[in-house]
Amino acid sequence: MDVPDVAIAGLGMTEMGKVHDRSAAQFGVDAIRLAAADAGMPVAEIDGLLVNPGISGGIDLGIQRALGLRDLGFAAQVQAYGSSAGAMVAQASLAIAAGMATAVACVFADAPLKPQASTGAAYADPARRVRPGFAGLAAAGGALGPNAGYALAARRHMDTYGTTSEQLGAIAVSTREWARLNPLAQMRDPITVADHQNSRWIVEPLHLLDCCLVSNGGVAVLVTAGPKARDLRRPAVHVHGWGQGHPGRTDRAGSDFGLVTGAARSGRAAMRMAGVRPEQIGVREIYDCYTYTTLVTLEDYGFCAKGEGGALVADGALGPGGALPTNTGGGQLSGYYMWGMTPLSEAIVQARGQAGPRQVERNDLVLVSGNGGVLDHHSTLVLSPAPRT
Amino acid sequence: MPVHPLQRDPESAPFFDGTAEGRLLIRRSPSTGEHLPPAAQTGSDGSTDLEWVEASGRGRIATWAAVHRKPDAEGRTHPVVIAIVELAEGPWLHARIVRAAPEEVRSGREVAVEFERPEGGEAIPVFALA
Repeated sequence: MDVPDVAIAGLGMTEMGKVHDRSAAQFGVDAIRLAAADAGMPVAEIDGLLVNPGISGGIDLGIQRALGLRDLGFAAQVQAYGSSAGAMVAQASLAIAAGMATAVACVFADAPLKPQASTGAAYADPARRVRPGFAGLAAAGGALGPNAGYALAARRHMDTYGTTSEQLGAIAVSTREWARLNPLAQMRDPITVADHQNSRWIVEPLHLLDCCLVSNGGVAVLVTAGPKARDLRRPAVHVHGWGQGHPGRTDRAGSDFGLVTGAARSGRAAMRMAGVRPEQIGVREIYDCYTYTTLVTLEDYGFCAKGEGGALVADGALGPGGALPTNTGGGQLSGYYMWGMTPLSEAIVQARGQAGPRQVERNDLVLVSGNGGVLDHHSTLVLSPAPRT
Repeated sequence: MPVHPLQRDPESAPFFDGTAEGRLLIRRSPSTGEHLPPAAQTGSDGSTDLEWVEASGRGRIATWAAVHRKPDAEGRTHPVVIAIVELAEGPWLHARIVRAAPEEVRSGREVAVEFERPEGGEAIPVFALA
């Protein structure tokens, strides 16, 4: 099919972090209002709605009523976990191309942090993880929550390719360097690889500084037809390509778990659609639930050969002033954890050229990844300040 | 570590009947002869007539990790070793490695199945270094 002329016209971000004064649904409502205000468009002109609930639930299509939206032509709840943001932008683009809607609000909102509970408890609740039958077998055996699954994946990469914990630490450091330039980032104190090595084990081989934050909050983007976006207040961020990859699992000898992810298929598809190659990408916004996820995604996207991610990241290439600016807002490791809206929101800011001291000069092509489950779901977007030619 | 009792559902009932008897059951495709993990319902050729067969219980560690707690007053983190075990027949199982410190564990090490019977839940397979 022809690639439709669609663009992101608005970005709305609520307060994020240890914010306990609102429900997930209210974060979602607030984020959509902020996105419409950002675009300079009345909320009432929204005629499509995609809602991605986080892990805590509490938000669904019922927010349509709170927003006072009437006569939507397109609406759905989307759940592809960390790949949902990219999936929503692709679905919104397709709906606009098909004439179902002209302005689709895509929102993620979550409130997993409770005032008295630990951050880790939000994602390792036995009641949620130990489901009956085979689905709960890993959790019942001790692999409770995503930290365990990613630790198993990271270890396999380290054993197979010689990737080291210090190389993962280099990702934590470069991502923090970017966070220091972002007022929205939650972790802004400088760190060193030694700090990374000395941070406590979460699930070995993952240290505390290999793991993302958990945040309450909401982020929404407003996707419209290209001409409409170009008439609105903010610089339009054009959607040049999208892709997805959901590899499935064989769970038997020969599996490439931990070595190759859905990013390989997803990235290929998105870059083919956009007509670009990895070396043309100026800015990378990678879903970094863990340092390891950044590394394996960069490999699968083709920024280096498979297995050479450790060498790629070790010398600060991903940080400010490096050859491959990556996660320029501090990512999920140091910035804020809004699932796939973390990389997408920073990609929009970079593509608009409004990132202030962290602005990457070469911002004509921005690559955005989303990753869900334990490397089970992947989405990719290629964004640009320029319309497709 | 805290034990999280696991309940059976209709699809997993034969597997947990097996673990209750100290037998580790996996799936086998009659048409291809391949062995598949307990949760599998489809063979690589699309076959759906999988049968339950007993695994040898031997395997090797495909990858592993150690779940640590926050350090206690003495700085101990009470690590629990978890792994993906590749059974001799080929299927992978997520399971705990018992009576092993992280320093003793390496990918590729041989392990053998045992069963734990947590109160209020089904018996689950765990593995010990062989």
